[in-house]
This record gives sequence, structure tokens and C-alpha cells, in this order.
Amino acid sequence: MTTLAGKPHLTRAGSHLSRTGSIISFARREFRDAISSRWFLLYTVAFTVLAVAVSFMSLAGSGSQGFAGFGRTTAGLLNLIMLVVPLMALIAGAGSLAGERERGTLLYLLAQPVSRIEVLLGKYFGLALALCGSMCIGFGLSAGVLAWRAGSVGLSAFAMLVVFTCGLALAMLSVGMLLSVVSRRTGVATGLSLFAWLVFVFLSDLGLMAGTLLFKLRVQEVFAIGIINPLQAFKMAVIVNMNASLDVLGPVGMYASQTLGNSLPWLLALVLAIWTIIPLLIAVILFSKRASV
Amino acid sequence: MNATRSIPALIILLAIAFGVSAEAQHKSTDEILRLIDAAEPRAVVVVPPGVYQGNLVLDKPIELDGQGLAILDGGGKGNVVELLAANITIRGFVIRNSGKTVSGEPCGVRAMAGPIVIENNRFEDVLFGIDLRESPDSIIRDNVIHGKDMELGRRGDGIRLWWSHNCIVERNEVNGLRDMVFWYSENLTISQNHVTNSRYGLHFMYSHNTILKENQLSANSVGIYLMYSNNIKMVRNSIVNNRGASGYGIGLKDCDGIIVENNDLLANRVGIYLDNSPSSVDSTGLVTGNMVAFNEIGLLATPITHDNTISHNVFIENEEQVSAHGGGKLSRNHFSADGIGNFWSNYAGFDKDDNGIGDIAYEPRSLFRSLLAREPNLRIFLHSPAQQAIELTARAFPDLRPEPMFVDPAPLTRLPQLDLLVQSKTVARTPMALLALGLLLGAGAGGWMIARQRTLPASVGSPANQQARKVPA
Repeated sequence: MTTLAGKPHLTRAGSHLSRTGSIISFARREFRDAISSRWFLLYTVAFTVLAVAVSFMSLAGSGSQGFAGFGRTTAGLLNLIMLVVPLMALIAGAGSLAGERERGTLLYLLAQPVSRIEVLLGKYFGLALALCGSMCIGFGLSAGVLAWRAGSVGLSAFAMLVVFTCGLALAMLSVGMLLSVVSRRTGVATGLSLFAWLVFVFLSDLGLMAGTLLFKLRVQEVFAIGIINPLQAFKMAVIVNMNASLDVLGPVGMYASQTLGNSLPWLLALVLAIWTIIPLLIAVILFSKRASV
Repeated sequence: MNATRSIPALIILLAIAFGVSAEAQHKSTDEILRLIDAAEPRAVVVVPPGVYQGNLVLDKPIELDGQGLAILDGGGKGNVVELLAANITIRGFVIRNSGKTVSGEPCGVRAMAGPIVIENNRFEDVLFGIDLRESPDSIIRDNVIHGKDMELGRRGDGIRLWWSHNCIVERNEVNGLRDMVFWYSENLTISQNHVTNSRYGLHFMYSHNTILKENQLSANSVGIYLMYSNNIKMVRNSIVNNRGASGYGIGLKDCDGIIVENNDLLANRVGIYLDNSPSSVDSTGLVTGNMVAFNEIGLLATPITHDNTISHNVFIENEEQVSAHGGGKLSRNHFSADGIGNFWSNYAGFDKDDNGIGDIAYEPRSLFRSLLAREPNLRIFLHSPAQQAIELTARAFPDLRPEPMFVDPAPLTRLPQLDLLVQSKTVARTPMALLALGLLLGAGAGGWMIARQRTLPASVGSPANQQARKVPA
């Protein structure tokens, strides 16, 4: 059975056109599967409802002033995004290959005249598009609430929030795909991704907090360790975009703004890019090297 | 009908013509001195239009009127105008091009005696705007002051008073200078000034018994900062977006008998900062009816601060509503008066009898904040889920919960009507609505485009799909 999955792209001496063509085909298929699946609808609805609710509540009471509370809305949205988006992306990524493997359809896919890279990248892009689209719905309605209740203050910052959230989703999806490649069963992949979620969202930050308190870490150490976490990088990127500086985040933020200046947003975007590319690359390598399905 | 309408237009045309010809004629300030010499003391001397080069020094009581068309040009050296005698009025001039080296503190107008009146002038390209030295009973009003295009640290003060009591400073517009600063000057009335893009909007040192009313201070480092000044009343000022490294909307250091009433404090780094004010044992402070919203910290106070009454204020969505500087408690102040506290946007209590006063006291206590007081570096974790986790832990394990920083026993549950200077602002909605629409349409149309076509060869796509659906869950 396993030999069916060979390496057809070697024999095909595949032209680039057909390769991108099949990646697009796989992406389309994955996208369709995603948007018709129940978990995806559930997450989209949950994210949208929460985003709209947060926007409403952050603006409550500011009506008398007419002064837009975009900063407060973003702060509220930040918390929501950092909880929900990684969960969504990690679980989507984890379910992708492991699910097909468990159902036996992966075997069938790999029997087609396509390479494993094409299958993996196709799945990645399809899920990425579905995730970003789902978040655009949530942000779109949230922006509608802002327009209605507060006007257009902070328009560009809000647009950048959408962009960076998509970046975070891509990074987390990438990690999820990697977990999916290394797990044999969906249950294992989902479990691993939930653990990864705990680590990214809570454990790493709490650990660094404890470390800062215990070892009296210096600002540069806290910053350097902090931005390794893609969620922290995401959060700082959003805040830099909003305030043009990180001084809201105390001494560590001031240090970052002072020493890095204008290159700070780029560094933070780079962290997200690395978290997107590296896990996906490892996933591609592992997936194409694994003999068994 | 037509004729009466065209008269103003004609006047404007004439004025423009005069203005243009005035630019062309370069005269010396000596011509002004000759006019003054010819006039009786305290007479009104109208200075004809023109550009007058040189440093004008006046030592005779006189009322000079440039009628908006006379330009005094200091030629980039020293003070443009220096007043050595009292009872001089400078009205309707364009005063420009002072020296720029900070050592001599070159000014647009420097006065060495009072009373004097400086009104309706336009200052351009000056290092210091108006500097009154021991010039009591003076009036500075309706001036527009624009500084030199230099970095903040090298600029001079917009308006400065030094040992000048009983002065009125009103309706001035100051943009891009350093400070508006008042030293050792008592009984001042500072009202309706607009200060933007400067360092200290209004700065007081040892200046007692003053009223600050309806000033608008925005995009400065600091809005109003009072040091060692007693009996100051701040009413209906609008203080927005002052976010310097130590950016306070209103900062009070060692000031007694302060009243802060009906001010608008929006989006500053710190709304109100109480640093040991009041400092005397028997003195009190009153903070009431203010709108404190969207600041990083609404009210910051050193724990040593005592006997302030803070009531009837509205605290909306400040990142930190109230903070004790360096940790500790603010329990030596009163957060309600006559059974009425403040409105807190994060108040989570209820109001059973619906009398507008919450039935549970507002007692902020946050484990994360108390950790922050211990280790400021932890602030980097603000806005992250880990912060929420810590607060949740503190709620689950009351032993970990810190003592409340202060208690507002009667928090308001309805927004009180405040008598503010700026009542409301309307902001354009269309761009944000378009963004909303774009995101929704983008997601919808994009999704439809991708999902619609079944370009995948049937052999790859559909059977797998169908097969997947057949598998029982």
C-alpha cells in the first residue's frame, strides 16, 4: 500500500505550471472542505460574535464624548484574538493531514500524479485562505460597529490589526500543519495542538513572568525572550502600529522603541514570518521524507 | 444692495494691495521711533504698513497700532521688540525673526516694566514669544505665536511671566514652542488659550491664586503642570493627547488648595497626577466633575498624597483607571462626597434600588498591578491572556488577592452630565464603514470565487471528498 505513494514528481520532471496548478487545485479543495465543516463555522461564528461584542462593550459610555475609543477596542480585541485565533489555526492545521490519514483518503490523494509538497502546500494555502476569510468576517462586522458608534478614528491601525492577525493565523497554522505531519492520528494531533496552544498563550508568558521576577531579568533579556513567542510579537506589532511606540508596555517596551526605532515593526513582522516559514518547511521536509502514510 | 455688499470686498482688496506693497517697502525701526518722539506720551500712534527692520526698543508710554499691516523684523538678531517703560501697548503687528541662540533668550516682545498690553499680534519665527519680567498688571491677549522650526529642546517659551502679578493671558494661540511658563507670578487669569505641539502647555512655579479656565492644550508633552503653587482653580480646560515621556494632562506637585473641576482629560499618558498635593497637613484638594477617558492611567497619585476629595468624575476606559505611583494605597483620600462617588466604566456591581448609586463599593484590586508595582518590567505582558490568567488566579485564591488600593463607596451607575468645554465631536464614519464593507465583501466574494469552480480533476477532488463524507463520524 505504501509504495503507491512513491515520489511521482521525480518521474514527471514537473513543470512549474502544473505544479502551481495542482497546489491551487488542492488549496481550492481544502478551502471548500474547511468552509463546509462544522468546526470551522463554529469558530467563525464564535469569533465574529465575540469581536462584535468586544467592540460594543469597549465603546459603551464613550458616546457622550464622541471621542473614539479605538485604543480600548483594540485592547479588548487583542485579548480575544490572542485566545481564539491561535486555537482556530492550530486545530485547523492539526486536523488537516492527520484527518485525511486517519480516514484513509491521504493514501488516495498521494496516489495521484502529484508530489507530497504540492499536497501539503495546497492544504496550507486553502486553510490559510479560509482562516483569513473567516477573520475578515469578524473584523468586518467589528469595523461596522466602530463606524456606527465611533467613526473612523484609527482606521489605518485597525486595518493593520487585520493584517497582523492574518499573519498570526498563518504562523499558528504552520505550527499546526507540522504537528499534523508528525502525528499518526487526529486525536494525537489535536491533543498536541491544544498543548501547543497552552504553551503559546499561557505557559511561555507565565514562565517568563516567573523568570523575570525570580532572576530579575534585565530589559533586553525580557525583550529578547519575549518576542520569541509569536503571540507577544503579534501583540507588540499591533501596539507599535497604534501608538508609534511601545512605551505603553513599560521599561521593556521603551527599551525596544528606543534601541530599534523604526525597525521595530519590521523585526516583529519578521518573527511572525519566521514562525510561518520554519515550521512549514520542517513539515514539508518531514512529510516528503516519511516513507509511510 | 449690490453696492453695500461690495464695500467689504473693496476694503479687503485694498488691504491686500496695501499688504503687498507693505512687503515690498523695507523701512527701519527708526521711523517708528521718530513717530513716537513726535507724539505725546500715552498717545495712539498708528504705524503705517511696511516691513520695519531692526530691534525696536521703547522707553516711553505709548500705544502702538500696526493695524495688522506693519511688520517688525528683528533680522535674526536679539529681541524684536523690547519694552523698558510701563504703559505701552503693542497691537496689530506681525513680529518676526528674532535671534535664535538660546543664551540671550531673544524674544518677540520682552517687557521689563508693567503694566503693558500686547494684543492682536502675530509672532512668527521667534525663539521666545512674549517674556514679561517684573511687569505686573499686564494683559496678553489674542496673539498668535509660532516658533522656530527647531527640535523641542532648543526652542524657547511661548509666553513667560517672571515676577509679574495680576496679569491676564487670554485667547492666545501658541504652536510649536517650548513652554507657557509662569514663575513667581500671582493672581493671574489664564483663559481660552490654545497650546499645541509644545512641551508644557501651562507650567507654574511658585505662582499662587490663579484661575486657569477654558484653555485647550493638545499634543504637548504635558498639559498643565503646577509646582509649589497654591490656591489654583482649573475649570473647563480641554486637555487632549499629551503623551510625552512624563506626559500628564494635569500634574500637581506640592500644591495646596487646588480645585480641578469640569476638565476634559482625554488620551493623555496620565490624566491627573497628584504628587504630594496637598502637601500641607491642613490643606485639601478637590477633583470633581472631570471627564477622564482613554488615558494610559486615569489618575496617578503618590501614596503620600492625602485629603483630596475625588468625586463626580467620569473615568472611562483608561488603561489603568487609578494607580498609586510606586505601589501602595491611596486610602488617605476620599473618593466620594455627600454619598456620591465617581463613574467607573469598569464597575461590575449593581444598583438594586435604581437610585444611580451602585450597591457595592468600587474597590480596584488587581494581582497583576501589584506585581507590576514590584517589577515594572512585567508591563510587557500587558494585554496578553497571561495577564488575565493571573487575575483569574487571584479571584480563585483569595489569599493571593491584594488589598484594594482605595474604596469608592458610592460609585455612579449612570453617566452624570458634565459641564465640559468641548461637548462632543463628530467623526467621519464613511472610511471605517467602507473598510467594514470591504472586509465583508472581500471575504464573501473571495470565498465564493475560490469555492465555486471545481477545476480540480474529478479523479483527485471529488471522490476523496465523497469518500470522506461517507466515513461515519
